[in-house]
Amino acid sequence: MTHLRIFCSLVAASAVFACSDRVAEEEDLLLVTTTSVRDSGLLAELLPIFQERTGVRAQVVAVGSGAALRMGRDGNADVLLTHAPEGEKALVASGAAVSRVPFMENHFVIAGPPEDPAGVREASSPADAMRRIADSSARFVSRGDDSGTHRREVALLKEADLDPSGGWPGFLSSGAGMGQSLQIAGEKRTYILSDIGTFLAFQKRIELEVLSQPAPSLRNVYSVIRIDPAKLEPVRAERAEQFQAFLLDPEIQRQIAEFGRERFGRPLFRPLHLESRPQS
Amino acid sequence: MSEATLLSVSDLCVELHSRRGSFRLTADELELNAREALVILGPNGSGKSTLVRTLAGLERPTAGRVESAATGPVTMVFQSPAPLAGSVAHNVRVAFLGKKLSGSERRARVTEALERFKIDHLAEHRAATLSGGELRRLALSRAFALRPAVLLLDEPFAGLDADGQAALSLDLRRAISDTGVAVAMVTHDLRRAMLLSDRIAVLIDGKLVQVGRRDDVLERPSTLEIARVVGMTNLVQGVVGEDRRGDLAVVEVDERHRVATPTAFTAGTRVWIGIRPEHLKLDIGRGEVDPIGKGIVREIVNDGVSVSVGVDWAGSELRTHLMAGRGLARTLELGAQVSLSANPEHVHLIPIRSTSQMA
Amino acid sequence: MNPPSIGLLVEITARTLAVCLPALAISLAIGLPIGIAIGGRRFAGRVPLVSLINTGMGAPPVVVGLVVFFALERNGPFGSWSLLYSPVAMVLAQVVIALPLVVGITLAAVGSLDEDWELQVRTLGVPKRWRLWLLVREIRLGLLAAVITALGGILSEVGAVMAVGGNLEGETRVLTTAILMYTQMGELEIALGLAVILVGLMLVLAGLLTAVQQSGRA
Repeated sequence: MTHLRIFCSLVAASAVFACSDRVAEEEDLLLVTTTSVRDSGLLAELLPIFQERTGVRAQVVAVGSGAALRMGRDGNADVLLTHAPEGEKALVASGAAVSRVPFMENHFVIAGPPEDPAGVREASSPADAMRRIADSSARFVSRGDDSGTHRREVALLKEADLDPSGGWPGFLSSGAGMGQSLQIAGEKRTYILSDIGTFLAFQKRIELEVLSQPAPSLRNVYSVIRIDPAKLEPVRAERAEQFQAFLLDPEIQRQIAEFGRERFGRPLFRPLHLESRPQS
Repeated sequence: MSEATLLSVSDLCVELHSRRGSFRLTADELELNAREALVILGPNGSGKSTLVRTLAGLERPTAGRVESAATGPVTMVFQSPAPLAGSVAHNVRVAFLGKKLSGSERRARVTEALERFKIDHLAEHRAATLSGGELRRLALSRAFALRPAVLLLDEPFAGLDADGQAALSLDLRRAISDTGVAVAMVTHDLRRAMLLSDRIAVLIDGKLVQVGRRDDVLERPSTLEIARVVGMTNLVQGVVGEDRRGDLAVVEVDERHRVATPTAFTAGTRVWIGIRPEHLKLDIGRGEVDPIGKGIVREIVNDGVSVSVGVDWAGSELRTHLMAGRGLARTLELGAQVSLSANPEHVHLIPIRSTSQMA
Repeated sequence: MNPPSIGLLVEITARTLAVCLPALAISLAIGLPIGIAIGGRRFAGRVPLVSLINTGMGAPPVVVGLVVFFALERNGPFGSWSLLYSPVAMVLAQVVIALPLVVGITLAAVGSLDEDWELQVRTLGVPKRWRLWLLVREIRLGLLAAVITALGGILSEVGAVMAVGGNLEGETRVLTTAILMYTQMGELEIALGLAVILVGLMLVLAGLLTAVQQSGRA
């Protein structure tokens, strides 16, 4: 019934319009996060601890990373959790955000049907895998929603000298969240780029396998980004700083390191500040 | 079934069950013949509508059968005809659906039918905007447009005012005689029944109790209940006496009140004496033919057209009608003593068989 | 993200109609006869059947989507047909949503007719199929309500078509799922543009149907 629950929450989530200009309560922190972090259940575990420690209740708006960065740019968020390094760096460079700290990572996988018609298992690199999929006109489900995962797809396609909007006959753009996109890929027996966390949650149900090897270009780094305090009320800027520090706290970092072990038999994320080694 | 019989019913039993209870209609024998108008009379709830609906094939007999020898359509006009969406003409044209008729034939029949009931000027009006009387005329127009062999009518005058009833009944009578359609009509209005019927069938408590030619039923009802239904309202108890006046027997009410009538009942038979109001004559002074004794005027009701007079006669009230504004009607006063008379041919006797028939 | 071209808007709108109109047609083709059959008769089990239909009229589309999803998914009873995430699946879900609406409104319209209506027409010797035609003509206002309600229900529905259609670009992306997607992507201007098209579509269709109905009135 776990799958049923996941599916229900996905449907419910997509049915509710995420409203980007909602007004937070006085004592709140408006946290705009990428959907994969919310859907993994990590926030549900960490936020109560944050509230216990600081008395601040974080309001979570889950959208694609592209939308999250745009909300940050427009001052419609206090703090962001995203996984789109290029966009994040640009946001900081533009001055709209003051601090970008990578705090955990996992990796993307290229998944597909076990029979692997395009030969992704034999690919020398993720870009090569994409090229093989395109060359054999195999079916591929693209997120197509300007999310962090979609941006990574585009990066891999560019690296493989392919049209970033696909263009081969089997290329499908779902415009949907990770969970539903995986569901579609499973149903249609296609390849797909997914973060490992969501993939593990759906693995049994969709009967796809991880076909890619770990590679630098599949690294998936999540950063916490503080918005320019000039755009926020001082008290909110302060809370955002508190939240950033909270995520880097060794105790919380250890908790991140353990998260997912119970359910999937392995951790979903690797914290970046346990060995005091900020990356990317 | 004779050659001229279009519908016939034999040993019929119809049982209806609804939330309000059960109802049972029985009719041993009933026929509707070509070119005749049969009026079905009876008190409320006596089964008139059920009978006519059974004739129309809308109720399924539990026992017995309804046979039809009609070569043309058998149709029915309901007590509350609901108009269909659309124009008056459309409502008539509906009757032609599924029938092979040329366009000109259809138009001609629609016009004819609407003219027959004087609503041709409303042809393009929306049927939903018609008055109750106009709706009734529309329903009849539609039925006649079908050129039916048999027309079944359930209370065709219900809900109309007196003028409306009078006008419509005349138009209906003309339509019936023009087309020669056989009609079976339910009504509880005696005046319409007299105007329109060739034969009358009487229902009481779900049972067909008397069928016959109109005047036979009106003047010779076979039971007290039927007498009341057919308007023989002057009913007085008496005993067939020993005296005879030629062919006539003398029925005694008391010592001073006797009525002569031809009868086969033997002396000593207790009977109801029935005289229809229109057959009871009223006079002051002498020279009356067929006198039945004197009475005192107790009630005078003048509606401008007729005068209804109630007379105390042998302890019972007898009723008769005079034409307003003429002769006796102008001078009659309450308390006046009047002489009553009745043609022996119009005096009807109903034997008293059981206590249940006591008045 | 660049605003979508006019061509894309036209394409999404066209696909929306290509999905909704067949769904509407199927719902009417199935629902009207059922509504007329149930509305004009008294039979044992009618009351529970009608209350079932009334429940169906209020069924949350997202639940309908879930049920259709489980019926069509790869391991579901009809998985071998490979219909999930296809326009056919969307039509199916929309039919399930619209059918109770059509049946419920139709049977209410039939039930509002005079008790003797059918008998009155029958005694005129009108053959059965013409009686049916007259009945439909008689309750056409109610049927129009059924059409508009059903169309409104399926045209504006998002949960079910998202669940079984998947919002695939060029295949199952319709106005509602596209609006949802662009909203979540933060492309609110595009979402608003699509929403205007959706509302406009609804207005045009309802207006057309009402005009047809008015012209049929004598």
